[in-house]
Amino acid sequence: MTSARAAAWRRTGALAPASLLVFAFLALPMLLMLRFSFNSFVPGKFMVEAVTVENYVKLATDPYYRHVLGLTLGVSASVTILTLIAGWPIAQFLARTQSRHKGLLLLAVVLPLFVGNAVRAAGWMVAFGREGLINRLLHMIGLIDAPLQIMFTPTAVIVGIVSVNLPYVVLTLSSVIEGIDRRAEEAALSLGATPFETWRLVTLPLALPGLLAAGVLCFILSMNAYATPVLLGGPSFQMMAPVVADQVLQRANWPFGASLGFVLMLVTLGLTAGANWLVGRRYGR
Amino acid sequence: MTGITRRRFVQGIGAGAAVAGLSPAGSLIGAARAAGGPVVVGTWGGDYQALMDQYIAQPIIKPTGYEIVFDSGMDTARKTKLLAEHPLPRGSMDVVALTRSGGYEMWKNDTLLELDPKKMPNYSHVLDKLRTPYSIPHIYTGRVILYNPKFVKDKPTSYNDLWNPAYAGKVGVIDIQYQTTIESAAMVAGGTMSDYEPGKAKLLELKKAGVKIYPTNEAMASALKTEEVWMCIMWKARGVMWQNAGIPIEMANPKEGIVLYISDQVMPKNAKNKDGAYVWLNGLLDPTAQVQFAKNMGYNPTVDNAPIPADLKARIEFPPDVTYINQDQDYLAKNDGALKDWWDKEFKA
Repeated sequence: MTSARAAAWRRTGALAPASLLVFAFLALPMLLMLRFSFNSFVPGKFMVEAVTVENYVKLATDPYYRHVLGLTLGVSASVTILTLIAGWPIAQFLARTQSRHKGLLLLAVVLPLFVGNAVRAAGWMVAFGREGLINRLLHMIGLIDAPLQIMFTPTAVIVGIVSVNLPYVVLTLSSVIEGIDRRAEEAALSLGATPFETWRLVTLPLALPGLLAAGVLCFILSMNAYATPVLLGGPSFQMMAPVVADQVLQRANWPFGASLGFVLMLVTLGLTAGANWLVGRRYGR
Repeated sequence: MTGITRRRFVQGIGAGAAVAGLSPAGSLIGAARAAGGPVVVGTWGGDYQALMDQYIAQPIIKPTGYEIVFDSGMDTARKTKLLAEHPLPRGSMDVVALTRSGGYEMWKNDTLLELDPKKMPNYSHVLDKLRTPYSIPHIYTGRVILYNPKFVKDKPTSYNDLWNPAYAGKVGVIDIQYQTTIESAAMVAGGTMSDYEPGKAKLLELKKAGVKIYPTNEAMASALKTEEVWMCIMWKARGVMWQNAGIPIEMANPKEGIVLYISDQVMPKNAKNKDGAYVWLNGLLDPTAQVQFAKNMGYNPTVDNAPIPADLKARIEFPPDVTYINQDQDYLAKNDGALKDWWDKEFKA
């Protein structure tokens, strides 16, 4: 008993440095931000000390901010679905390959993470521009006469964020698929299941926790995407993170920026927890 | 036991120096240092800071014993800092670079020092139209119409030419220039410098005609270069820089008048090094430095004694008969947020 308690204390002790760091540099600033979100903003006077819910009321009643939140949710959901669909085959290949170049293949997946989001978005700008790579190629093979408008469209933003999130999803999924016992799949195949049935009835349910983890990671990253929507979406495409930054950095309206940030965080957390709960209930985890 | 090790010797020297520090000679050295010391200049980074370092901080300020330390970032952050540090006895910046509107806003909030022209010998050369009691105008330019003469055959004479149906879909505006865009529209729609409201309906007409909106000045430059856009409004200094970069544009002065863009530098009331700040502010007005900003950035000098070469003068200066217009800073301080809201929610939507 005593030794068990001592072990528990040791575990707690080991967690202490990390917990303290999180408390000091995450929890406390968040509490401060929560307090700021109840202050009021007077143009030219910065933040005025107050206790008011006007920022949250403005957010809830102004159709503009509801639209921004809706658009952010829509883009994040599309990105998550597309990334999971695009990421699965790569992950499965990586997990199951016997190639001696597996290390190199993994490196190829990780390599894009070495380049910052903004730089990658700049690369897409070169590809998507009116005189860009894609328009030139399409023109050369005679598919189009006039350049297509790709920059500053939702498609550009979705493609951009998918490319940013893909490595995270592939790495998460492949480690989960690697952990699935191959014999379970082989048993299904030997009992007469088609490869698709094997995937649908055996591999997919076994990989579901990993799929959920990859999906949640991808969704959170998209909800908070900043550089990609700013650079590829253009001035009229408004997602939450750039709108928060605009309030804080351009207009010095910290109270409203803080309340926007909080709502973004709560919506993301709520949806993530909801998805976790639903999947858990459905598959009895 | 008489052996002196190297460590002991060094310690001994250290103690001797500490004693010397307490002596009258030591305090004299201290006083001499206080006359110099660091001067913290909050400013935009990039080319602007690099030029200030190359042509003011190094050649003009360094020999006086002051050391210039740049604190670079966005102007909104500097304004926030000024307001947040206002109650403190000592602020973190000695000089702050702001736009004219930003400076006015901070002056109204009682954070800035009223400057003493006697402490800046170069001040007597500052152009009258740019003077305020609280700021040093560093560089200025005016708003003009940029157009591509290959497509726009008749040189524009008024902001109204942006609404010419012949150029529908070939006119661009810039997201971060929302304020001046609404202002320009107001100038041809019956508005004034104190009332931009009529500009809103006028801009919605432009939106209907298929105006293109670009996020930044640089994006507009590339649209002009690829001939995606034939006409826009812009600061003349930028136009000069873009011409230097080979972008095919000419510039036209709108008959409604030339609205001035002024980049100011101000001193917070709680600046630590006020003497150093005055030396810096005086340096900003130095004619040799002013010439460099004209050459490298296309801005007009704010003093009357900068020896600008004739060919450059012809490109950056305005003809003598134009009317200069100053923005109504009171109006902007109160309405800028609402203008941005309208721009985001109605115009860009």
